[in-house]
Amino acid sequence: MELGEVWRLIGIETHDAYTNMAIDEALMRLRAVGRAPNTIRLYKWRPSAVSIGFFQSVEEEVDVGACAELGVDVVRRMTGGGAVYHDSEGELTYSLVVDAGNPKVPPDFLGSYRVLCDGIVRGLRSLGLDARFHPVNDVVVGGRKISGSAQTRRMGAILQHGTVLIRADVSKMFRVLRVPDEKLRDKMISAAHERVTSIERELGRGVGFEEVFEALRRGFEEALGIALEGGSLSEEERSLAMELRGKYSSREWTYMR
Amino acid sequence: MAILRGEYKVQGGKLIRVLLEEEGGRIARIRITGDFFLHPEDTIFELEKALEGAELSEAQLLGRIQGVYRSAGASSIGASPEDFVRAILGARAWASRGSGSP
Repeated sequence: MELGEVWRLIGIETHDAYTNMAIDEALMRLRAVGRAPNTIRLYKWRPSAVSIGFFQSVEEEVDVGACAELGVDVVRRMTGGGAVYHDSEGELTYSLVVDAGNPKVPPDFLGSYRVLCDGIVRGLRSLGLDARFHPVNDVVVGGRKISGSAQTRRMGAILQHGTVLIRADVSKMFRVLRVPDEKLRDKMISAAHERVTSIERELGRGVGFEEVFEALRRGFEEALGIALEGGSLSEEERSLAMELRGKYSSREWTYMR
Repeated sequence: MAILRGEYKVQGGKLIRVLLEEEGGRIARIRITGDFFLHPEDTIFELEKALEGAELSEAQLLGRIQGVYRSAGASSIGASPEDFVRAILGARAWASRGSGSP
């Protein structure tokens, strides 16, 4: 086998929402100035959280009352896209940071989603799932979404992060996310069962986070032709992340729109 | 002055929401939200700024939005400049819908 480029692999880490988003931004900023290596990070959210897209508004997307009751955090991402419920026991998130000029990654958004999401596709296939890329930025199994991603590019670096559903709690998802009409809540929950699936539902057995972690590691290595080597955050990354955490946990940022 | 609210679901794409203050057929202030992708992300602030004072006409809105896309070197996924115009022109007077936020 050809000896590929080596990227750093971090995970599985568990942090609160603000720290997770701050680490992703810190890695991207430091990657842009050459002070962080190409990195894939796999992480969980504790407490569970709702993340909203950069262009969304909390009031339109999130039932903050229900979140407070259930102990669910709310965070705005630096990436666009939709609102996501990240269950601390049901969802694994990945983030990938790479230099924008890297020949493995197409220069355009649509092409690079395809290449980077292929890591998810291959990882899920290695678990026995018939996973397929669904443009622009989703991975589906049997036509149902199992993973969604969002990407941003700044200052010469690319950040892509996304979800992998291991087991879905759709009722909880619809308690914390706003539905356009309360009368439609039950209908929307059944519709979501049709549109969304999870690894456990598809495999019909319990699946642990470590098993998914190993699958995604293989998937990204294959898809990108890289070798992933376990590592951790540097002091500089950690301290920039702590600084950025202040922004992500602030009302100004969360309620910016 | 009137407050208008609009929602436009792009076919096979994303949802665009607009909230705007209209005065004499022009936009006084506007906020555009949704689950689309716009790159660079900060372009949204320039878009909203550029739309202030714009007449609520297709030609003028599209011209201003395309102007910002050009000057910012922006691109979007899931919603086009034309879609933003549709969302804005579809906005209607808004009676409190009771957001339920505390």
